[in-house]
Amino acid sequence: MSAIVARSAFNRRLANTFARHSLRPASQQVLARWVSSESGYVPGGPIYKGTVNDPTTFPPPSRTHGSHHWAFERLLSAGLVPLTAAAFVTSGTNYPVLDGILGISLVMHSHIGFDAMLVDYVHARKFPILGPLCTWTLRATTVAVLVGVYQFNTNDVGLTEFIAKVWTA
Amino acid sequence: MSARALGLGPAFRQAAFAPKFARNQIARRTVQTQSLPPSAAEGILNKQRLQRPSSPHFTIYQPQLTWYGSIAHRGTGAGLSVLLYGYALAYLVAPETFSSANVVEIVAGLPDAVKYAGKAVLAAPFAFHSFNGLRHLSWDVGKFLTVKGAYSSGYAVLGATAVTTAALVLM
Repeated sequence: MSAIVARSAFNRRLANTFARHSLRPASQQVLARWVSSESGYVPGGPIYKGTVNDPTTFPPPSRTHGSHHWAFERLLSAGLVPLTAAAFVTSGTNYPVLDGILGISLVMHSHIGFDAMLVDYVHARKFPILGPLCTWTLRATTVAVLVGVYQFNTNDVGLTEFIAKVWTA
Repeated sequence: MSARALGLGPAFRQAAFAPKFARNQIARRTVQTQSLPPSAAEGILNKQRLQRPSSPHFTIYQPQLTWYGSIAHRGTGAGLSVLLYGYALAYLVAPETFSSANVVEIVAGLPDAVKYAGKAVLAAPFAFHSFNGLRHLSWDVGKFLTVKGAYSSGYAVLGATAVTTAALVLM
């Protein structure tokens, strides 16, 4: 019963709303409803530039950002397979060059992985300030990490031996 | 024949219960159309864009090995990389505190249960990311690029991860 009462009350309210609106000229209603400031292009929001019929813009073709980048990523990943296997059977103290290459490769691999996440989740197209800020923060961090890995491999036991020692501690 | 079978229930209910005044008002309004200028099209489009749900809509998809494996690959990779970055930065800032001797001493003082748990937490992501990385590389050279191939290689990765994790924890 209460549902019926509520429905009829709702109908009445709806009718009143329509009656009030119909007093205003149609052109003004259209303007008020569709052309509002909130429905414009917002860099961080869900609205993109242009209409659905506009083709998406493509970045200028560049092999450095395309096939070369892709091939480098795969070579780096594939290179980590023998390096990881070697790390299990050698010690960083006896093969410091191998340990150094593993350290640099892991940092580059990590950097590419982090960068891919930034491209996916905080793209500059949608986050014009936060996106580039994150990218440059990552670059600076990676440089610092490379210095840290270099310091550790030259002044301490190196990554391979460190992991082996902690694992059996 | 009942009103429900004929699909007349809602119409009858409306006719019986809705006040006459409101019913007439609505009936008159529903047949009216609005003339919109062509310039209003983008406004309508943007209005709809504002109401769109975010995509992909994770919560409505069935959990499947394919996309769960993909997310896990990223998650495990990010976790291991954060560890590497974190330790390298920590060593850069405080080489004394984070020297290998110091860290090994601290780890050696931990109870066995914590050691095994820590090894499992480190070994599982490492094993999964390594084997799933091989799976990705095989996709890149054109192998296992079918639904069946994706599933069989996915299960192989999970099996290898379980075995390797156990072996590393017991090392």
